[in-house]
Amino acid sequence: MSARSEVFVAELTDLPVGERRLITVEGKSIGVFNIGSRIVAVLNLCPHAFAPVCRGKLGGTTLPSKPGEFVWGRQNQILRCPWHGWEFDLEGGQCLTDRRRLKRFPVRIREGRVYVEV
Amino acid sequence: MAKPKMIIDTDLHPVPIHERVAEYLDEPWRGRYLRGDHGAGHPNLYNPNGVMKSDAVTEDGRRIERSPETMASHFLDVYNIDYAVLNPMESMEHCVSPDAHYSAAALTAVNTHFVEDWLPVDQRYLASVMVAFSNIELAVQEIHRLGAHPRVCQVLLVSGSPFPLGHSYFHPIYEAAVEYDLPVAIHPGLEGVGIAGSGGTAGFVANYLEWHTLLATSYMTQLVSLVVEGVFQKFPTLKYVFVEGGVAWLPALMWRLDKNWKALRSTTPWLTRPPSEIIQDHIMLTTQPIEEPADRRHFQQVLDMFDAEKMLMFSSDYPHWDGDTPDFALRHLPADMRESVMFGNALEVFKIKAPQRVG
Repeated sequence: MSARSEVFVAELTDLPVGERRLITVEGKSIGVFNIGSRIVAVLNLCPHAFAPVCRGKLGGTTLPSKPGEFVWGRQNQILRCPWHGWEFDLEGGQCLTDRRRLKRFPVRIREGRVYVEV
Repeated sequence: MAKPKMIIDTDLHPVPIHERVAEYLDEPWRGRYLRGDHGAGHPNLYNPNGVMKSDAVTEDGRRIERSPETMASHFLDVYNIDYAVLNPMESMEHCVSPDAHYSAAALTAVNTHFVEDWLPVDQRYLASVMVAFSNIELAVQEIHRLGAHPRVCQVLLVSGSPFPLGHSYFHPIYEAAVEYDLPVAIHPGLEGVGIAGSGGTAGFVANYLEWHTLLATSYMTQLVSLVVEGVFQKFPTLKYVFVEGGVAWLPALMWRLDKNWKALRSTTPWLTRPPSEIIQDHIMLTTQPIEEPADRRHFQQVLDMFDAEKMLMFSSDYPHWDGDTPDFALRHLPADMRESVMFGNALEVFKIKAPQRVG
């Protein structure tokens, strides 16, 4: 197992809520997102069909509700894969409709700078 | 092959004595009924077999399905059937009539006829409360009128409808059904008639062979609509019986629906689990006309792909031209499913309390 390395992503001020950076580290494509509550980093690979999931739309979604009711929530926390439309909760990486999840990487913020551990 | 301990037929077709039904009607409906208005008609497609089996006649030439005594002696007794659900013919045509008041009155009289004139004759009969689509308030009234009757076992609708049955327009029917703990059943045959949609969802077909084959597509439409519109979230105790709509298409449809749900869940946020799970908890399928692939094992493999043991119920469709006898259906079922399918599931779904004959 190779040692983890810490990679600089962006100044925090350059990564506002709802925005993302795509970086490549040692051949791995990684998406780094500001989901409002925090910064998260996930492998840019959908576990379903290996799509570049981090190029999908980041937004909110409809929360569980009664038939005929629509309640919007989780704004900026739900990533929708561009290939088959699976929704992923970036808080934990879990798909909302399947047991598969995105691979996550630790994020560090020091002195206003965002780093990912790979 | 060991005989099952009981047999419950979930689709038996009596025909009312129309003169007797008319006695339960007032004018202006009675005369109209007596002049032969039995609903919205037929799809006008040709079946050379006729719809009724030509041999369903007594020794002295009477049609078996037209009296509770002959239906019992010439069918229930012959096949050792313990209970049979009555799904009346020459009556369902009212379900898709555009004439709301006449069809509701006619169905009320037909329902009364079977409750009053068939149930007392033989303890094995269970009745349906049949209602029409064209006026939901009248449909609900009829369910309230008969829903508490101890031998009314289901609300009966037809599978051809003006729009799919998950639509909120139909929800008051389900609300009334669950109030009496009754399942709702749909029966085919009126596709393309009256206010019902066409037999194939792509439009009207030209031939009975096409129409009869594609009845399964009505059931696919109804299934997807009921699940996606959240009927089973709104009515969590509701069971829905798909009578005579086929079986083998179900797994493929569940896979397709689940796959689409994974991408489109946000459009139906009340579906908090895969649709296939909801289907397997709420939908029952009756066996006839059982699918007959060239290799019988292929049908049994299909039954492995969903919870068939919990979802299937035997049906004969007697005396229709394509009916299945109990022994015929049994030969197509895996041994470990026979008890559930021939009676176990029906006992539960229809809440039959005291089996009057076992073995």
